[in-house]
Amino acid sequence: MIEGFAKNLVQLKKEFAKTYDGKSQIQEVIPISKSDLFPINQQNLELLHQFATKNPIYYNSFEKTIGNTPCIVYEGDINKYWLNSIQHSSSNAPFSPTWIMSAYVGVLFAKELGYQEVIDIGSGDGRIAFCAKVLGLESYSIEIDDMLVDLQKLLTIRDFHPYCSDAITFDYSSLNLIQPIFFIGGLAQMGGTALASGVLEKIDSVTNLKNTGWVFAGTYSQKYPSDPKNEAGWGTLIEKNNLQSIKTLSLPTVWTFHESEDTPYIFTQTI
Amino acid sequence: MDSVDDISSMFEAESIKLENLISNATTKSELSLHEIVETYYQIMNVSSMITMLKTQLNVDEHQLLLNKIEEIDKVISGKFNSTVHPQILEQLTKSIQDTTKTLQSMGTEQKSKEDTENDATLYEELRKKMSTKEFVEQYDQGLSND
Repeated sequence: MIEGFAKNLVQLKKEFAKTYDGKSQIQEVIPISKSDLFPINQQNLELLHQFATKNPIYYNSFEKTIGNTPCIVYEGDINKYWLNSIQHSSSNAPFSPTWIMSAYVGVLFAKELGYQEVIDIGSGDGRIAFCAKVLGLESYSIEIDDMLVDLQKLLTIRDFHPYCSDAITFDYSSLNLIQPIFFIGGLAQMGGTALASGVLEKIDSVTNLKNTGWVFAGTYSQKYPSDPKNEAGWGTLIEKNNLQSIKTLSLPTVWTFHESEDTPYIFTQTI
Repeated sequence: MDSVDDISSMFEAESIKLENLISNATTKSELSLHEIVETYYQIMNVSSMITMLKTQLNVDEHQLLLNKIEEIDKVISGKFNSTVHPQILEQLTKSIQDTTKTLQSMGTEQKSKEDTENDATLYEELRKKMSTKEFVEQYDQGLSND
């Protein structure tokens, strides 16, 4: 069911990208109502719209039917956050979000796998952690950029626990995690490998957690060097850390809006 | 392989193009990003030709061409590397600082859709400058490793 949901979302994005003629830097869509293609609890859907409506990165929205799905299009701009992030050398990758709907589908799959807590690492505006909370999971959002954490605090319609911290030095034992899944922000080639390696090492040193989940955002774009072990840039890290790939879901993101290939999210777990 | 005459005339043409670009760079107070990229590509193009030709020519048969190669090599290592290249790097650094300051001073108040989309072009300009500077810095890195 979730794979079908993801495919429908990719199709919706393709249809939207074909006809979108606006000038906004970023744009995404959320269906207005529950449908066969997008079987989301209506109350959850309303919360996703609230997250977008309250979010200052979006400055315009309008209704549009894409294919046969009535949607709201959200147009936004993240330039000032990018400008702030490049001033801080501590931030590995500039803020560029996944789609809210993609965050929802990714977390839905994590929930189906049985995870109880979602930790959104390099969380940007906190949308993955927010979706986890919407889906009834406990969630924590860890972001090093204070301007983005201030933004997250405006969006805690559900408290997804924003922390302004370096994820590599964060004290995870304070969260009393039971069965967590970590979503790592940033492509492997854009500082993601260093971030993921640091967090994996930290988790290993401070907890006795078994079967933790790890989700990586990959790319097949030729703009970036490929990994000799594949997995959309993450193969070497996956092998080195003894992780097992479970599934890859392709989902739309802001940075692949104009690309034919969407972002592969690689779900793995510790063996 | 092409005849030495062909290679010689090709090298001559590429060298003239390079000298014109360097002359342009020394006379203009500020180069466009396109001019900067074009100049560095031509430097790399001619430098590669020089490296290749030096291994294939011999002093007895190709003295004239070797003299020309020597002359252009000096223009690159002397005039370009020690004068023009540092100036371009300085121009880009200053231009990035200026655009960054302008963008930081634009305020964070709520803006109209049109203003936001107009401002976005300035951000795009800054990204292009930064990416050009990265390209120029890669050349600089190559010089440090020589």
